[in-house]
Amino acid sequence: MQALDQPENAVAIQLRPEAGGHVSLALKGRLDINSTAVCWRELDKRLHPLKVKTLDVDASHLDFSGGIGIALLRYLSEGGMTPGAQVSIRGLSRELEKLLSTFTTEDFRAYQPHKPANVRIPEEIGASIKSLLQDLREQVAFIGSVVVALPPAIVRPRRMRWGEVRRIIETAGANALPVIGIFSFLVGLVLALEGTKPLAQFGAQLYIADVIGFSSIRDTGPLVTAVMLAGRSGSAFAAELGTMKVNEELDALTTMGLSPVRFLVVQRIVGALILTPLLTLYAMVMGILGGVMLMRFQGFPPMMIYHQIIERVHMGDLFVGLGKALVFGIIIGGVGCLRGLQTKEGPQAVGVSTTRSVVASILLVIVANTLFSAAQYVITP
Amino acid sequence: MNANGEPIVDVKNLTVGYGDHVVLRDINFQVRSGEVFIIVGRSGSGKSTLLKHLIGLYPPISGEVWIEGKNLITADRKERQHLLRQFGVLYQSGALFGSMTVLENVRLPLDEFTDLPDLARDLVALSKLKLVGLSGAEHSMPSELSGGMQKRAAMARAMAMDPRILFLDEPSVGLDPITSAGLDQLIKELSGYFGITFVIVTHELDSIYAVGSRVIMVDDETQTIIAEGSPAELRDKSADPRVRSFFHRKSTPDQLAGETVPA
Repeated sequence: MQALDQPENAVAIQLRPEAGGHVSLALKGRLDINSTAVCWRELDKRLHPLKVKTLDVDASHLDFSGGIGIALLRYLSEGGMTPGAQVSIRGLSRELEKLLSTFTTEDFRAYQPHKPANVRIPEEIGASIKSLLQDLREQVAFIGSVVVALPPAIVRPRRMRWGEVRRIIETAGANALPVIGIFSFLVGLVLALEGTKPLAQFGAQLYIADVIGFSSIRDTGPLVTAVMLAGRSGSAFAAELGTMKVNEELDALTTMGLSPVRFLVVQRIVGALILTPLLTLYAMVMGILGGVMLMRFQGFPPMMIYHQIIERVHMGDLFVGLGKALVFGIIIGGVGCLRGLQTKEGPQAVGVSTTRSVVASILLVIVANTLFSAAQYVITP
Repeated sequence: MNANGEPIVDVKNLTVGYGDHVVLRDINFQVRSGEVFIIVGRSGSGKSTLLKHLIGLYPPISGEVWIEGKNLITADRKERQHLLRQFGVLYQSGALFGSMTVLENVRLPLDEFTDLPDLARDLVALSKLKLVGLSGAEHSMPSELSGGMQKRAAMARAMAMDPRILFLDEPSVGLDPITSAGLDQLIKELSGYFGITFVIVTHELDSIYAVGSRVIMVDDETQTIIAEGSPAELRDKSADPRVRSFFHRKSTPDQLAGETVPA
């Protein structure tokens, strides 16, 4: 608590306890934000020990800066400081009487401090399951509407808003190149660094090239790209659409007979589908470069590294990596847009949607990646 | 109204705008203590921009804003903090904090800047909410309120600290006529009983006539104040077609062509 400046004019308090529990109180001065706080505490301290039956407050020498002093008088008049006592306030001008009467006895008594509702565990579990099912239903409906809206955009590309797709590819793709490049390069470098010592025990340092080749193309390249896109672009999709929802722009589209999915979502998913494989390819190259740089420091000739990678990594691996990228792109674009469209009312809603989009995208990407690996383990002899 | 002639806000040669873009230039006016001072102008004429400069939200391109005899622009941090506590501001959108209940919003300045007991803060906040007709909504979140109710809650927050000056940016926007008239009544009462000074940006002619003691009209073409006076003076005596078209609710000055212009 930061205290205000010291009161310039403290309110003078004259308290006269009389026989039979009668107390006369005269207040003199200006009740403003500073002096009221002092006066309130002082009165509370001095009136509380007295057994007051009737309290007579003379307010004729009071001046008010606003409603704060009036609140003090109401508290006094309701016996807040003298429970059970009969309180009379005199000396107020007619206007101030009127102002005092705006905050009535009923208002004073009706007020109850807010108590948070008791949480019942079965109710909470039920509500969570209900919300989960509702979310699932919305996801199915969303996937359905995207599936319906995508083919016409591809069959009749003239109706597609390519300008929007271009903007998305530029902001979510081209602008992400530096960060994805650095991220992939460092991951490739660290992978090689971590692999060096165990492989050196067997005199097999050359096989670091296999490690970085395989991992960059099949796993880290697509994963690094997906995580960066989810954090950078999926969240932006959710925030953009969420803000449009809060600003009633989505309602405006709907009432114009335009489907938000066809008008906004399809562009983002197509954009994500185009740029994710491209960015993944770039991440693969940067990851390999990171590992290669470390191997060069260890003295391996460039041609030896090149031949080792080419010999071990096949086109099939590249297709697996790019296939993953396509799936990740759909997940990131779809989840970002879905969370954006699900945005509720209020100023926190967009932030909530953005967070939900990032968490769900990354989780689904990891799950999809695991399914890819499991499927390949089963299929490959 | 109990305007006592002593200037509480003094604006000297103020040029406002954003970056190099000048919106209004060389603005001079004084607001006297206790008066209800109205700033009018067409949409986009720079009224809200001027208000935001008066409350020190943006630094002016040049000029001075004096509040209670102290220069807000050049005041040091401590002095500025003191000055900021002398006034309350109602923003066009209400600007309630969405993560707090209505009561917590109104209580916030009391919690931060006063030494009032806990219960007293609640009572003060509740009495302010009652004044704006929002009893019973104290535990609601702002998102659960209508636009007009949010505006009224924001008004209660602006009044929480019993400020000496209240700056109101379009207070009637989003309010129904009855609530709007109630707000006008509240402005009159606060000004009359407590001598609170109001600086109000508004379009609402009914409000201007109901509460305004003095009006200035700003114009985006000339970037200056084109009229100053009481609402009745501007309505009945101004020869400027822009002022007349505004106060006579005509869409263009041309529509006034057939009317008799006072000498």
